[in-house]
Amino acid sequence: MPVEELSDGIFRINIDDREMLATKNLVSGISVYGERLIVEEGVEYRQWDPNRSKLGAMVLKNFEIPLHYDSTVLYLGAASGTTVSHVSDILRDGLVYAVEFSPRTMRDLLQLCDQRPNIIPILADANKPQSYTHIVEKVDAIFQDVAQPNQAEIAAVNSKYFLEQHGHLMLSIKSRSIDTVASPKRIFKEEVQKLETGFDVEFEVLQRKELEPFHEDHLGLVARMFVEDEE
Amino acid sequence: MQESGQSAALQDLDLRQAAIDSCFVELDEEYDILLREVCIRAAKSRISSNDTDDRRIIQAVQALDDIDRNSNELSERLLEWYGAYFPELELTGEPLARFVSTFGSRANVPESHPMFVKASMSMGSELSFADEELLRTFALNICSLYDTRRHIESYIVTAMGSLAPNLSDIAGALLGARLISMAGSLQKLASFPSSTVQVIGAHRALFKHLRGNTPPPKHGIIFNNVVIKNAPWWQRGKLARSFASKISLAARTDFYTGKRDPSIRESMDKKLNAIRAANPSPPKRESKPAGKPGSRGKSRNKKGGRR
Repeated sequence: MPVEELSDGIFRINIDDREMLATKNLVSGISVYGERLIVEEGVEYRQWDPNRSKLGAMVLKNFEIPLHYDSTVLYLGAASGTTVSHVSDILRDGLVYAVEFSPRTMRDLLQLCDQRPNIIPILADANKPQSYTHIVEKVDAIFQDVAQPNQAEIAAVNSKYFLEQHGHLMLSIKSRSIDTVASPKRIFKEEVQKLETGFDVEFEVLQRKELEPFHEDHLGLVARMFVEDEE
Repeated sequence: MQESGQSAALQDLDLRQAAIDSCFVELDEEYDILLREVCIRAAKSRISSNDTDDRRIIQAVQALDDIDRNSNELSERLLEWYGAYFPELELTGEPLARFVSTFGSRANVPESHPMFVKASMSMGSELSFADEELLRTFALNICSLYDTRRHIESYIVTAMGSLAPNLSDIAGALLGARLISMAGSLQKLASFPSSTVQVIGAHRALFKHLRGNTPPPKHGIIFNNVVIKNAPWWQRGKLARSFASKISLAARTDFYTGKRDPSIRESMDKKLNAIRAANPSPPKRESKPAGKPGSRGKSRNKKGGRR
């Protein structure tokens, strides 16, 4: 079998003795950013380049990706939609809210949204979740890839507003956008600590790994929101 | 405080439930479809409203720089290339491109042309028909770059006249546009302190100064205005300071009122003339300390000023 399903909607395909990561194309025949389309047993897949996607790198780093066919996901830092397109492939019965701040990249993202019915674009600042509470409902998972110095805080605040109890947080921490000179290892430690105890929501970190060699000075992290029993 | 109160209210409001209850939509799926459409439209309209006049001007300014870079490069290539056929032709840049696109081979230069004698006695090699055609097209393209440049320039002058009449008046349309481009928007330029305006474009020199022992830059990109460029060196710092303050004033007037105010120009002229009158002759240069010959020269070498 050249095609193996690693987790819901994420496939490993063996072609010409080369392994590649792929997702089932939701909109057949269309390549979003120039990636290769592969037809195997009548099903069309889109190659997923881990060098261009933190989430793709996390898959190859053996993270357990908490995404399912019917998940709803809040995606912070959608950029031009490279990774969002694959998330949209995975969630074929789900929904992804794609938040992006820059109007310039939003332009590209909107082209993607026009093709794919399960993406809801939101032009807003992830620092201000109040500005999209009327759109986003409770989600099963949050994926965050923003190059901001207060990444952990953004993740915590958004989780507090939108994450389902015991929902998952997938986070890509870029050490260089926190401090360009300090050692990445130290920054990662501090950020994880902040995430675990620093805010009024707590997380239980399930997995953390650096995303070398796909992305330099990035830490991938999957955590589950930890909720104390409320009344 | 108010913000959190408001957000709590918003969060409590379940739009989906409200929409279904009020029979605005019947099914969950219907709500999803509607939500997506609304979000796409909202994002699109915000993107198109984001394309403001100053953004257009910034694009034009950057296009100007791109064209300058490219036309210079291509002109140099033309000079090298055509030089093999007509080395005596002492033209460069746009005149050269115009010459080549009009005449092609030097055999086509008419007797009435000032270059005729040089052309007929040239030591350059003969130009074959195919080469001539190629060179002419190449030169024609360069000419059209220069034409486009003038077109963009006049566009900037017109656009600046309506977006920022005072800034155009004080700094000149092109310099004003460049300031907006470097600041990011007219709003940002208007919110800068004038000391920042004074050194915009002199980042290297400024940070070098802040880090070490070099003198502070007197002017950044505003140097390009005749007020400073044509001033004698001992007046430049003083003129730059008050020139920058008037630029700030003009940018603020433009951003917040949008009306032309001739009094800024008047007060600037008065102020600048006063500075010129008060400093008619160069101050005596400090004599070099005899003990350390060359020390000042060394530090000047490291200075990151205009370069």
